[in-house]
Amino acid sequence: MAQEQTPLLQGTLDLLILKSLALQEMHGLGIAGRVGQITRGTFQVKPGSLFPALHRMEEEGWLTSTWGESENNRRAKYYRLTKAGRRQLETETERWGRISLAIAQALETP
Amino acid sequence: MRWLSRITSLFRNLSRKQENERELDQEVSSYLDLLTEEKIQGGMSPEAARRAARLELGGVEQVKEEVRDVRAGAWMETVLQDLRYGIRVLRNNPGFSALVVLTLALGIGANTAIFSVVYGVLLRPLPYSHGGQLVVLHQQAPHAHLADVPFSYKELVDYREQNHTLDAVVEYHSMAFLLLGDDSAERVQTAVVSANFFDVLGVTPLLGRSFLASDESPNADAVLVLSYEYWERHQGGDPNIVGKVFHMNNRPHTVIGVLPPVPQYPAENDVYMPTSQCPTRSSAGFMANRKSRMMTVFGRLKPGVSLQTAQADLSTIARQIESAYPEIYPKAYGYAMAAAPLREDLTRRARSTLLVLLGAAGFVLLIACANVANLMLARLLKRERELAVRSALGATKARLVRQLLTETVLLSLAGGALGLELASPTLALLVRFAERFTTRASEVRIDGVVLVFTLVVSVLSGLLFGFAPALASGEHVSYALKQGSGQSTSGMGRQQLRAALVVMQIAVSFVLLIGAGLMIRSFLRLVSVDPGFSPDRVLTMRLSPNFSRYTQPAQSVALGNNILRSVRAVGGVESAALASSFPFSPAAITGGPGSVGFEIEGRAVSKGELQPLVDTTVVGPGFFETIRQPLLRGRTFTDHDDANAVPVAVINQTMAHHRWALEDPVGKRITFDAGKSWITIAGVVGDAKEYGLDHPVSDEVYMPIDQSGMGFAGSLVVRSTGDPTSMTSLLRKALYDVDPQLAVDQVDTIERLQHESLASPRITTILLGVFAGLALVISASGIAGIMALTVSQRTRELGIRMALGQPKNSVVRMVVRQGLAVALAGTALGLIGAIVLGRLLSSLLYDTSPTDIFTFAAVSLLFVAVAGLACFVPARRVTLIDPFTALRQE
Repeated sequence: MAQEQTPLLQGTLDLLILKSLALQEMHGLGIAGRVGQITRGTFQVKPGSLFPALHRMEEEGWLTSTWGESENNRRAKYYRLTKAGRRQLETETERWGRISLAIAQALETP
Repeated sequence: MRWLSRITSLFRNLSRKQENERELDQEVSSYLDLLTEEKIQGGMSPEAARRAARLELGGVEQVKEEVRDVRAGAWMETVLQDLRYGIRVLRNNPGFSALVVLTLALGIGANTAIFSVVYGVLLRPLPYSHGGQLVVLHQQAPHAHLADVPFSYKELVDYREQNHTLDAVVEYHSMAFLLLGDDSAERVQTAVVSANFFDVLGVTPLLGRSFLASDESPNADAVLVLSYEYWERHQGGDPNIVGKVFHMNNRPHTVIGVLPPVPQYPAENDVYMPTSQCPTRSSAGFMANRKSRMMTVFGRLKPGVSLQTAQADLSTIARQIESAYPEIYPKAYGYAMAAAPLREDLTRRARSTLLVLLGAAGFVLLIACANVANLMLARLLKRERELAVRSALGATKARLVRQLLTETVLLSLAGGALGLELASPTLALLVRFAERFTTRASEVRIDGVVLVFTLVVSVLSGLLFGFAPALASGEHVSYALKQGSGQSTSGMGRQQLRAALVVMQIAVSFVLLIGAGLMIRSFLRLVSVDPGFSPDRVLTMRLSPNFSRYTQPAQSVALGNNILRSVRAVGGVESAALASSFPFSPAAITGGPGSVGFEIEGRAVSKGELQPLVDTTVVGPGFFETIRQPLLRGRTFTDHDDANAVPVAVINQTMAHHRWALEDPVGKRITFDAGKSWITIAGVVGDAKEYGLDHPVSDEVYMPIDQSGMGFAGSLVVRSTGDPTSMTSLLRKALYDVDPQLAVDQVDTIERLQHESLASPRITTILLGVFAGLALVISASGIAGIMALTVSQRTRELGIRMALGQPKNSVVRMVVRQGLAVALAGTALGLIGAIVLGRLLSSLLYDTSPTDIFTFAAVSLLFVAVAGLACFVPARRVTLIDPFTALRQE
C-alpha cells in the first residue's frame, strides 16, 4: 500500500465525505474506505481528521447519525446526509467544478 | 439555517456533556474494533491486527481531543476548565492569594475612589441641558493684575445688547437677607438673578415654576425659588411649600418653586430672587453708575458658534466700550474680556490637586502590580514541574499562558471587588475634601462609569502582572522536567526580569516619596507662617440685623454701640470689637482681597495712568487690640473717630513700605474719590494674613466704621479670658436681648478657622503621604523578597564559597552589594523621574521649589536606609547556611 499521500485541500475532505454518503448511510470506517476507493487511493483519511470533520458537519446540520449494527453484528455509528447536506453537496460540487476548471486553465496558459 | 443548527448543538454540548463523551468514546472504540476485524479478515493474527489498528488510529485520547476542539462552545469549555483549575490553585495557596488580593485591593481601591471624584468633578458632563454651551464672562484688567472684575449694570447691558454670538446673557450676584418669622430671624444666602437664569442653565424646577419675565418687572409681587438643599434642610422638604409666604426686606415673598438637586453655580445659595427684588440692584443710583460693579455674568453660545468666535465677538465689544469711556477704562489697565467654558470655571481650583492624586494612585497600583508580578514569578519556580507535566500531556504554550493569565485575572478581579468595598467608605471623606474646591462635589458617586473603570483597571492589572510571568513560563519547561527534582535553577532572563521589576518599583516609589516630601515641606512652611496677630481665645460670629429697622446712620451706630456694651458686660469677655471682616473669615478665604483705586496727596495720577490699588477693611475701635495685631506707629481708632471727626485711616506695614519707603506715613493723606474728601493716615499696624496663610499680604487700608458710610459692620470678634467656645450661649443671649431680630451665625474661633483654611493642603499632603508610605512598604517587601529568593537559590554556591574559606561576612557583603545595586539603579531612575514630574506639583507648593535640595537629600537617604535594611535582613540568612548541608543538598 505504498500509495502517494496527498495532503487534503481545505474543504476537500467535506466534499469527499458528502460524496461518499450520497448513496447510502455509512459508519466511520466505511466512510474512510469509501473515500480511499472513490479517489483510487489518492486520499487516505486518518481518524484524527475524519472524526472532527464528521462531528463538525453534524453540528452544521449536514449530517445526522444513528447507532446501528454493522455487517458483522457490531454496534457502530452510522452517518446519513440531511436535506441541507444534499444542498451543500450540490453547491460544493458546483464550486469545485469552477475551481478545478480555473486551475486547469491557469496551468494550460503558457 | 447553519447558525441555528450550531446553536442547538451548543446547547446540546453544554447540557449533555457526559452523554456526548460516552458516545464519542463508543464511536472511537467501535471504529477500532471494526478496523481490527478488517485486518484479521485480511489474514493478520488478532494480536498483530489490534496493534496495527491502534497504530493507524494514532492515539484514542488525541482523536477525542481533536473532536472536542471542533465542537461548538469548545472555547467556553476551555475557559471554564481554566477557571476551575485556577480557583483550585488559588485556594490551595490561601496565604499567597490573600496577599495578592489585598495588595491589589489597596491599589485598585485608591484608584476607584480618586477616579470617582475626578470623573464626578472634572469629566462628567454638567447636569444642565447642553452644559457644554454655557460660558462665563470675565472682565479683566491685566495690567492691574485683575483677572475677574464684576460687572456693573451698564456693562451687562452693553454685552447683552451688542453681542452676536450668545443666545442669552444673564446676571447673578449673591447677598445675605433676613428671612423673618414671628420672633426669629434667619439669615439666608440669596442669589439675585435674571428671570431667564434657570432657562439658560436648562434647570427645570422640582416643584412649582421658575421665574418668568414678568417677575422681574419693577412692580411685580416678590417671589422666591428655594434651592433643593435649603428646602430639605430648613423647610423639612415640605411638599406644599409652593405658595408659602415669607417676610424679607419688609415685603411678603411668595415661594413659587424648588430647584432639583443640581450643583449650584457659581456658589451655593439658599434662595433665589429676580433682580427687581434686590434693594441694591434695583436702585436707580446703582443702575446708572457704570462703576458700581457686583454681578457675575454668563451666557449660552448660539448653536454652532465656537468659543473662539464668541471670544472675538465679545472682545470687539470690549474695545468699543474702552474707547467710548476712556476715563472709566484707562488705556493703562488694558481692559479686556475673556469667555471661559462654565465647566472649566466650576472646577478650575480642583483640577491640579485631583490630577496629582489620580497620578499618585496610579503609581501605587503600578507598584502593586510589579510586586504581584514578582510574587508570581517566584511562585512559578515551584510550579515549574506542574507546568512541564501539563505541557508533556499535550498542553500548548498558548494554553499554559492562558491558564496563568486566567489565574492572575481571577486574582485581580477579587482585588477589584475588595477594592470597591474599600473605596466606598473613603469616598465620603474625599467628597468632603472636594467640596472645598467646587460645588460639583455633590455629584460624586460610584456609578456605572466608575464600575466600568474599576473592572477595566482590574482586568488590565491582572494582564499586566500576569504577562511577565506567563511569558517567562514557556522557557525551561522541558529542562525542569528532565531535572526531576523539586529544585530548579531559574534562567538568567527571569532573574533579570525580576530585577527590572524591582528597579521599576523603586523608581516609582521614589517619585511618589519625593512628591509627598515636597508637600510635607511646603505644608510645614505654611503652618509656620506668622499670621501677624494672635488667633488664640478669639471667638467670632456674623451678625445680621433687620436693616429695614435701621435705615438712619445714627440707628446703625447706636445698634453697634448697644451690641458692644452688652457683649463686653458678659463675664469672661476680655475685649470685643466689630468689623466688616477679620483674618481667616470664611468670606475672606473664599473671596480674597478686593482692590480699590486711590490717590496719595501730592502724587496725582494723570488721566489714563494706572491708579494705585488697595484692599479696604472697615473696623471699629478696639479691633486691633482684640485680635492683637500690633501697632507700629501712630495710633489705632477710638470712639471719637465718628462721622463728625476728621476722617482717618490705619494702614498695614506692607503698604507703608510700598508707598512710603523712607518717609513716615503717619499724617500723610489719601483719597478714594479723586480729592473730594481726604483721609489722614493715623497709624501703621503690622501685617496680618487676612486671606489665608498662603496668600501674600496686600496693601491694606483700615477705616473706622462710623466714617465709612457702612453704618453697621457685621463681624463680631471677642477675646475671652478662658475657653472662647464656652461663652457662646451667654453671648447669644446678650445679643438676643439687644435685638431679637438680630440673626447670629458662623460662630467660630479664629484658631479653628485658621486650621480649617489649611484643610485642603493638609488633606492633599496626608493622601500623598499615605500613597508614598504604601509605595515604600510595597517596594521594600519587593527588595526583601528578591533577596530572600536569591539567597535560597544560591545556597549551594554560597556553601561552596564558605567551604573554600570565604569568610561569612564577606559572603553577606557580596549578597547585600547585589541587592543595593538594584536599589541604587532604581533610585537613580526615580531621581530623574522626580525632577521631571516634580514640576507638575509646583502649583500646589508654598514657598518650596519642586527640586528642593533638602527634600531630595532626605528622601534619598531614607531610601538607601530602607533598601539597605531590606537587603540586609534576608542576606543575614546566609550566615545560617551550614556548608556541609548545603553541599549535600541536591
